[in-house]
Amino acid sequence: MTSLMPLTTVFPGLVWLMAALALVQGLRRAALWRVGAAAPVAWLDGLAKLPRRYLVDVHHVVARDPYASRMHAVVAGGLLAASILTALAILPPLAGFRPYWFLVALAFGVTAVGSLLVGARRYPSKQKRLSAGHFQILPFLLLAYAVGGTLTALLLAFGAGSGVFGSVALALAAAGGLGLAFEVRHGPMRHAAAGALHLVAHPRPGRFGGRPDTALQPLDLDAPRLGSEMPADFTWNRLLSYDACVSCGRCETACPAFAAGQPLNPKKLIQDLVAGLSPAEPAYAGNPYPGGRAAEGERGALARLIGPDARIHPDTLWSCTTCRACVEECPMMIEHVDAVVSLRRHETLERGALPEKAVGPVTELRQSGDPGGRPLAARTDFAAGVELPRIADGGQAEILLWLGEGAYDLRYGRSLRALVRLLREAHVDFAVLGPEERDTGDLARRLGDEATFQGLARENIATLAQYRFDRIVTADPHALHALRNEYPALGGCYTVVHHTAFLLELIRAGRLNPGRLPDLSVTYHDPCYLARYNGETEAPRAVLDAIGVARREMSRSGRRAMCCGGGGGAPVSDVPGERRIPDLRMAQAAETGAGIVAVACPSCTAMLEGVTDRKAEIRDVAELLLQAVEAGR
Amino acid sequence: MTRPRRDPRAEWAAQFVAGAGLRPRYDRTRRAAAGRPRRDPRSEREAQRVGAAARPRYDLGQAGRPLGEAVVAPPRSVPEAPQTIIVEAPAFLVAVVPDAPGGRLSGHDRQVLGAARALAGREGAVAAIVEGACEGLGAAGADRVLRLEAAEGYDPAARAARVEAALAALAARHTLFPESLDGGDLARRVAVGLREPLFTNAEVVAAKGLVRPARGRRVEQSLAAPRFATVAPDAAADYAGPPREARAVPIDGPTPPPPKSILSATRIPADPATVPLSLAEFVVSAGNGLTDLDSFRQVVAALHATPGASRVLCDAGLMPRHSQVGASGTVLAATCYFALGISGAPQHLQGVAGCEHVVAVNTDLHAAMIERAGLAVVQDAQAVMPALLRLLAQETAGRATGAGKAP
Amino acid sequence: MRIAVLLSAGLHPVSGAPVLPRVEAQAIRLAAGLAASSEIFGLHAGPEAAAVAEALGQGLDRIEHVAVAAGEDPVPALVARLAERAPDLILAGRRSQGGDESGLVPYALARALAMPLMPDVVAAAAAEDGALRLDQSLGRGALRRVLVRGPVVVTCHPDAPAPLAYAYGRARRGRVETVAIAPVATPAPALAAEERPYRRRPRIVKGAPAGGSAAERLKAATGESGPAGSGRLLIQPDPEDAAREILTYLRQIGVVAAPAEPKT
Repeated sequence: MTSLMPLTTVFPGLVWLMAALALVQGLRRAALWRVGAAAPVAWLDGLAKLPRRYLVDVHHVVARDPYASRMHAVVAGGLLAASILTALAILPPLAGFRPYWFLVALAFGVTAVGSLLVGARRYPSKQKRLSAGHFQILPFLLLAYAVGGTLTALLLAFGAGSGVFGSVALALAAAGGLGLAFEVRHGPMRHAAAGALHLVAHPRPGRFGGRPDTALQPLDLDAPRLGSEMPADFTWNRLLSYDACVSCGRCETACPAFAAGQPLNPKKLIQDLVAGLSPAEPAYAGNPYPGGRAAEGERGALARLIGPDARIHPDTLWSCTTCRACVEECPMMIEHVDAVVSLRRHETLERGALPEKAVGPVTELRQSGDPGGRPLAARTDFAAGVELPRIADGGQAEILLWLGEGAYDLRYGRSLRALVRLLREAHVDFAVLGPEERDTGDLARRLGDEATFQGLARENIATLAQYRFDRIVTADPHALHALRNEYPALGGCYTVVHHTAFLLELIRAGRLNPGRLPDLSVTYHDPCYLARYNGETEAPRAVLDAIGVARREMSRSGRRAMCCGGGGGAPVSDVPGERRIPDLRMAQAAETGAGIVAVACPSCTAMLEGVTDRKAEIRDVAELLLQAVEAGR
Repeated sequence: MTRPRRDPRAEWAAQFVAGAGLRPRYDRTRRAAAGRPRRDPRSEREAQRVGAAARPRYDLGQAGRPLGEAVVAPPRSVPEAPQTIIVEAPAFLVAVVPDAPGGRLSGHDRQVLGAARALAGREGAVAAIVEGACEGLGAAGADRVLRLEAAEGYDPAARAARVEAALAALAARHTLFPESLDGGDLARRVAVGLREPLFTNAEVVAAKGLVRPARGRRVEQSLAAPRFATVAPDAAADYAGPPREARAVPIDGPTPPPPKSILSATRIPADPATVPLSLAEFVVSAGNGLTDLDSFRQVVAALHATPGASRVLCDAGLMPRHSQVGASGTVLAATCYFALGISGAPQHLQGVAGCEHVVAVNTDLHAAMIERAGLAVVQDAQAVMPALLRLLAQETAGRATGAGKAP
Repeated sequence: MRIAVLLSAGLHPVSGAPVLPRVEAQAIRLAAGLAASSEIFGLHAGPEAAAVAEALGQGLDRIEHVAVAAGEDPVPALVARLAERAPDLILAGRRSQGGDESGLVPYALARALAMPLMPDVVAAAAAEDGALRLDQSLGRGALRRVLVRGPVVVTCHPDAPAPLAYAYGRARRGRVETVAIAPVATPAPALAAEERPYRRRPRIVKGAPAGGSAAERLKAATGESGPAGSGRLLIQPDPEDAAREILTYLRQIGVVAAPAEPKT
């Protein structure tokens, strides 16, 4: 070749060839996304915001692992720069300009260093969370392309491009480069192409705006098919998003169900969705679902995804606590929980295939407005001896206190009594709905029963429309999320405040004057639906600081906190695992040595209280504040 | 419907001391004929005195009057010599069709007879319609007994036909059935067969009328005593008076049975080892205080109980998940719950809230389960289990050799 | 095999909302489990079909609705329709929920259709040559297995397997057909009962004599008088003594058979 054409043409030509190959491979893959349902995508807006989304939002997640962040910056930056610079050398003036080739060699050199960093994660032994398979040859392809490119560019820079040595270097670069381009269809390099497109056409563009965009999208109950049964039922940009998965395994390290040995691994779940789309997909080579299930199932756009003999076992689906830890950790911005809920919707709405133990609570929710089938009037029984004004008496109040399902629980009643007494202490004008309050439907919605959720939401919205109030305060983050983020889509827009934020407000306004409890050592457990779903991590901590307790942080806290296991209907689904999620969380709390675990959610209270042989006490933030207020008198 | 009505005027008259001047005088110490015996605290106190030392000592644990016995002893062992009450010519009849499984009245049957007795009053007579031999009908309040021939096998339609014929012959003013599985079934067959309305599941049975719940216990319906009614369990009290005659009444010959559609019927007794926990009558449950689950299983088998477990054992995989007792497991409806090494978390106690009797063995005196228990043993369950097994083995051996009874 | 499941307009026991009675949902499950190839349909007689539409989401594809005015006896209309359709098996709940709850309708139907009735069934299976094997509940898990030749009316007991989950999508696809019918049988005689709000009454305490005084009944209720009294507590007894005490107690309450009696 070199005899026919100068290396200065062949080398850039190689890069153009690579680009063409990558495009072909990419388009072959993209053709599969077309089976997905249509989705509205703001293309221009997405394209304009792509750099910002990549450099700010993606980087923010990637940077949590500093090594990976540096590695990616060097290898991806080097690869892009070197390839673009080489491609530009197709222009004769640049091709003949020898210092330019020094620049190219430098870029390839940087890529080579990056390739070594990539290799160091996998050789001699692979990090546990990473996948093997095609990913194991990635460092070699990168290194071949980078080293071959560096040598070729250097030869050109020194003007010695016509020898045998040049051909060998070029061949090395071609082997690596074409290999990389080929991998765009099924291998590791797919994440680059699909990932970039995914950032443009993301199904939740709102999450790049700085505010959490976590509300489940309402399902059109008149649609011909409800939920997702097979890959073709997902929208095309969701299929695209699953292809963006780079199998880094950050989700599986964060997943509470995986840690507890329940048969769920978010990475494998996404990879099953990817593999379910195409029979040609190479075998998955990461950690399996715990429990060692081997069923492969049928593949293809129209193959059933869920079933005892399908790719995804129903137990996998019902293990998810919808805590969003996987979504929070995903550097590719994949929405795992949306996928889980979409699959659950089909199981529940079309097949009635709820987990056996969840049938009762969901049926009661539909029929009586409470998962326990208890009378709605009994919700205020916890307040025996505490005056609890009903909003029906006056028709209005400044604050509407939403009690939630926790009010029926004996233990949580204590927390609510503390909250009510604090509100009285601060002379807040508040009232409750009393027997008119129905469950928000959170449980039904997470379990996929959208019809029951929408029914309950409509009834609650109609009830709330009868009364005048400024804000809703609730101690239940699940109710808070539903009321604040999910009811607007059904026509109910309210200002909803979590009780910790409201109590902080009262303290700052001087309406509550807590004493200090310096003898208590407290660690705060973030509820998923407050921290991750709503980004509120500071208010409860500020309340704890205001009462002067010695506050310690668990290794996983704030938006990256671990779930208590109480969300997403997981307690009623009760999929067996090797351990229990709350036990794991309490072990993490015990590591801090704190005597009290402060909580701010009825589910967390119930789950953590249920841990046997625990050393620490479980106290709601409101209970601690009440103790401080009483100490300060 | 229960105690005889007091007549204060007559009581006063009985206490009148005659010929004591102008002012009437009454002897209030004299006992009223039908009333409760008057207490004499002084003599009661004297009865409690122990020994005859100079300093009086009293055993207060000993009741001066055997209050408890009247409650514990069955009605037939009333101290006074019972005299059979005979109603020679009843004004009307109240028929009762007890289940009488195995020729013995069930508790529910006695209650229905008690209810019928209350309806019959002094003038009426209670007629029991039974199949085959049945004992204790007189003591339970029956004045008449109709003995139908005992049927072979299970054929509810044929039984209903026989009862219909008997009732037609008897011409009772009221007919009561127990609202049990078989009794309720029979009552409906008979009522439909005779084209009579049936007042089901009466919770109050009195001469004034019957009351039943309806619409999910939101309302109650009341009615002057109807012709046909079924009586809910534990709604009426047993008959507590002196025994009745239970005179046998002859009945006509056999009725032709309706066509048979039942090819065979076999009774499958509940196997305590496999019966669903929510239906089990007697549950023995293991908790975190147990380490030796093999002897636990032996105890369960020896007591013919259904095994249960606390959440911790199920989580650890030591016991199957379906055996978990508690709010997140199974809520029990057992008669007796025997907790071995369970401290009693609130969720667990919710699961046993419906159990009538609880026996607990736990090392911790302050455990919630010990508080809940009717019989609480503060002892290591690991030590009690082998002792229990030994005791049961001894008894079995004793029975096998015919040597005698265990205490 | 053609199976009719009788559906009634029930009310939720707590909330009072219109629901399909649980035991009828269980009956649907029994029917669905009986034979995959059988034709199963629901049958409801009442003023409105919407009351039983929920059953479509719990395993029925088709419901026949016979219009009967509110408060009228549904039996004649049901008899007429069932005589027309002639199902091999008629399934019903043992009691309705939210109405009179007398459980008489299946009996009246069986009588009018001259079909045998098997009450309180918890499991059903097809046996050889067209017979049905039915398991009747005798309470506490005991069963009576009955082999019966159809057609037969069967009532379902609450101890039957739990109902299938409600599937909204299925409910959407199912259909309710209103059929016009001329009633043939005469309505059953009714009782004119007086109604008032329910008042909870104390249950009769076991062992309390009917003629006892209030004080005696209280003692019997609180269990203060008996030797088994309330809360006996043995602290650190000898294990052998503890075992003896426990066994005595268990025998007293009658869950363990007495030693000398042979086991029944």
